[in-house]
Amino acid sequence: MKQFTRRAISLVLTLVMALTAISAYGEGSAVIGSTIQYDPSKPVNNGEDIAIEFWYWTGADKLFQAVVDEYTAIHPNVKITLVENPFDDYWTKLPLALQEPNGPAIFNVHNSHHENLIGYLAPYVIPVEDLEADFVGVSAHIIDGKVYYTDYGMMTATMYYNKAMWEKAGLTEADIPTTWDEFREVAKKLTIRDENGNLVQAGFSFNGGAQGDVLGMQYQYGQNLFTADNKVTFNNDAVRSVIQRMKDIYEVDGSGDYNFGNNSGDNFGQGMIAMYLGWGFMHGLFQALWPETEFGSFEIPTPTKDVPYAYHRYNGESTFGINKNAPADQQAVAQDIVRFFLANDALQKQFVLANSVFPAKKTLAADTDIMNVSSIAVLAKHIDRYIWPGPMPSAVENNMKIAIEDIFYNGADIGTALKNAEDTCNMELEGSEFESVEPSYAHASEAK
Amino acid sequence: MNLQIRSKSRDPLRSRSEIILRNTVVASLILFFLAFYFIPIGIAFWGSFHLWNPLKGQFRYTGLKNWHNVLNNQLFWYSLKNTGLFSVIAVLARIVIGLLLASALFSRLVKAKSFFRTLYYLPTITPMVAVAFVWKNMYDPQFGLLNQLLGTKINWLFDGRYAMLAILLLTIWKDFGYAVVILLGGMYSLPMDCFEAAEIDGADACQRFFGITLPLLRPTVLFIVITSFISYFQTYIPVMVLTQGGPGTKTQLATYLIFDQAFSKYNFGYASAMSFILFLLIALLTALSFRASGRKEQ
Amino acid sequence: MSKEQWKSIGLNAVLLVFSAVTILPFLWMLASSFKTNAEISALAQRFLPRNPTWQNYENALNKMSFLRYFVNSLSYALVISLITIYTSAIAGFVLCKYRFRGRELVFGMILSTMMVPGVVTIIPRYSMMQALGWLNQFQALIVPSLFTSFGIFMMRQSCAAVPDEVLEAARIDGANEFYIFHRIVFPMLRNAVASMAIFQFLWAWEDYLWPYLMIRSESKQLLSIALNMFSGRFSTDYAGLFAATSIAIIPVVLCYLVFQKRFIEGIASSAVKG
Repeated sequence: MKQFTRRAISLVLTLVMALTAISAYGEGSAVIGSTIQYDPSKPVNNGEDIAIEFWYWTGADKLFQAVVDEYTAIHPNVKITLVENPFDDYWTKLPLALQEPNGPAIFNVHNSHHENLIGYLAPYVIPVEDLEADFVGVSAHIIDGKVYYTDYGMMTATMYYNKAMWEKAGLTEADIPTTWDEFREVAKKLTIRDENGNLVQAGFSFNGGAQGDVLGMQYQYGQNLFTADNKVTFNNDAVRSVIQRMKDIYEVDGSGDYNFGNNSGDNFGQGMIAMYLGWGFMHGLFQALWPETEFGSFEIPTPTKDVPYAYHRYNGESTFGINKNAPADQQAVAQDIVRFFLANDALQKQFVLANSVFPAKKTLAADTDIMNVSSIAVLAKHIDRYIWPGPMPSAVENNMKIAIEDIFYNGADIGTALKNAEDTCNMELEGSEFESVEPSYAHASEAK
Repeated sequence: MNLQIRSKSRDPLRSRSEIILRNTVVASLILFFLAFYFIPIGIAFWGSFHLWNPLKGQFRYTGLKNWHNVLNNQLFWYSLKNTGLFSVIAVLARIVIGLLLASALFSRLVKAKSFFRTLYYLPTITPMVAVAFVWKNMYDPQFGLLNQLLGTKINWLFDGRYAMLAILLLTIWKDFGYAVVILLGGMYSLPMDCFEAAEIDGADACQRFFGITLPLLRPTVLFIVITSFISYFQTYIPVMVLTQGGPGTKTQLATYLIFDQAFSKYNFGYASAMSFILFLLIALLTALSFRASGRKEQ
Repeated sequence: MSKEQWKSIGLNAVLLVFSAVTILPFLWMLASSFKTNAEISALAQRFLPRNPTWQNYENALNKMSFLRYFVNSLSYALVISLITIYTSAIAGFVLCKYRFRGRELVFGMILSTMMVPGVVTIIPRYSMMQALGWLNQFQALIVPSLFTSFGIFMMRQSCAAVPDEVLEAARIDGANEFYIFHRIVFPMLRNAVASMAIFQFLWAWEDYLWPYLMIRSESKQLLSIALNMFSGRFSTDYAGLFAATSIAIIPVVLCYLVFQKRFIEGIASSAVKG
């Protein structure tokens, strides 16, 4: 019954949205949006011609083109030049360009580069209360009462499983595990070895890049990643248990092997492994590169049947940044584009679907198209139980990578490797102004 | 430093044109290198005493802190050891393979010279992204070509015993063409009459190579050794594309560490301090190479 | 068969084996440029594409202003190569053949600039260009490359092979130093010039980070930067990259062929005849 109500509501919502969209584009003047509203009939820059640059990183050309096309259709007096940048070196060129008066007025932001960018950003003119009314997760982005960018979506990890292998092992929907113990049993059933004991199909693999997930699973034990004085903590019971369990899945259960494929994401797509813990974007990648591999998703398992402190860490996909050093008229246009983007559910949806992230916009939380994406849908039930530690400096992930490779490949002791990584990381963080936002998590009081 | 090139001393009387040419060239050199090298290097050196992140405009004096941290950073010293070993092997391989192939290509017995030469240059010109993709496939533990050829089951990039070897193989493969091109140029510049005379004297190929070719090529070989040392000491791209320093820290090379500090952790002051220690080592090594080759000539 | 013929066969066989090793990754890339990304990422790898497609080439050519970038890169690489060959030769000549106080110091300083990792000097250099107002100008690419330590070192080593007697003879004939360098020494450096042209062209052609930081407008963009756009945040479009790369390396191969054949081999045949 409950489900029916939800579906009905979402159906009505979609209809309303569709109608709004149609009327908006039909007449070209109707106001769009809920709390944050955009009125297309209001001229920008007094209707006078203006040109601005909009920087983004490569791979998202269609999305950004869509924003520009829709916006300039409403405001033909605005000329927007999209400038494509390679992802890695964008983060060097962009801050340097923002130091100058002729930098881009508006640009794509990734929160991992928060520290280098925040000094160049202008706050959104949209009131914080309006942002909070329409979007979740805004509170973590408030700095001195202002918001400089927020999330349009939240990306996290879900478990992907190969449907054909699942069936072949005699498993059904009912076997979908919720605890790690159940998961390990399922993984064993999904593992296939040849007569010599060589692995043919791994039940589970985390080879290549597991650091991103190790840094999230300790939350399941109520353990935060950062201490109150913003130091990182790796060498604790929670992280040690997470890594020990990973080792046991390979070494005790034999459900996988460190040398069975080096990139578990690719290997899952290629049909070498049955289950893989991957982040949202992998959904699109699987469909594009390995269309023959049929897969489903389930939520990441937890230590016990109880709802944990948090299921995993999430990372926001950020909305655009506005250059505070740009001329005032350009900034005004940039502010207007941001408002247009935030108010426009159709664009929000495009961005959410392109990256397979959970929508931050509340009106999209039950959108049927979005919920058709399995890796997003499984998050819906507990989305408030995913935590964002804040814009972590890269030292955190880099040092965890070293630690787990030392443990998995070089035979290092778990405690020693974690301690080394923790010490090095804290030394490297000394000059950083990073502040954890774990305390602003809704269930922060439950932390150990 | 004794970097002298031995040329016979000549009449100390200098012509006007010599003085003009000399002064113009030396003045432009000093001006150019001062402006585009020494000033930026000076700024970087000054930056090594600061908490320096130019991307957010941070430049805070911290005294010797970066230097102190670098000198106490075990990983840095470990990476220097790796770098030294890596460079020696890579330089040796480059010289040996270069000499072998260049002499073979120089030989009268080989007809399809252009064909071979072009093939040998292909690795050098194929961009690293493409090369890395192909090599990663070849190093694959399950399906890689290398394991199939050798009949092994090695996880080349994740086994601490082999990962450095894997990076070395790629590096050597990628740029042995450099040595072949320069050595061939050197060989074709040698006076032909020496070879003809030797052949008439009945010296065999081996004697000719070690007796005539190699000694005459010494300046070219020295050039390759020094430029290779300088560039291999600053290798980081093969590490970046293959292992990112892993497994653990097994394939950390000094410049990869520097690159990581600068462009991933934005700790430019720390990266600078490491860079200048690396610089001192390279300078020392270069000076030694010059001296060693100079002594032999005397 | 004579001993000589056997030797020849042996030698050619060794060279052939070696070329198989060198060419395989290249051929792999070339073959993959006719595959789809799905085929490239598949577990079952085949060397030849299952259904060869020109699509990647079409995409590459359509995606970006390929021709414009190509021409930009070509002119940039040519200009840099021409300038540095000349400046390196003349600087190498002066630093090798003239004796003056501070010569070794100047040379040592030049050489030492190669030893500081560029990673830490690139930002100060950027700030300089900014201060000079050269951002987004071609001179920001050209002027900092007017001289190269590598080239000066190479030419200085090669000048050492030019006998002093040749210079003396010219001087006795009354030639001035400009004439001696341009008409006598420079032609004798032909092989070094050829080697340098081959590398300088390649390096300028591949040069990426500096031009990327300097150039803002699309009309001045270089091909190397466009090639870097195939690597996205989550994955790389290998099919597109391989296709674009296969076209992009053609000028480098041509440059190499011309200089190897015309210059390096050419001088040998003339020397033998003469």
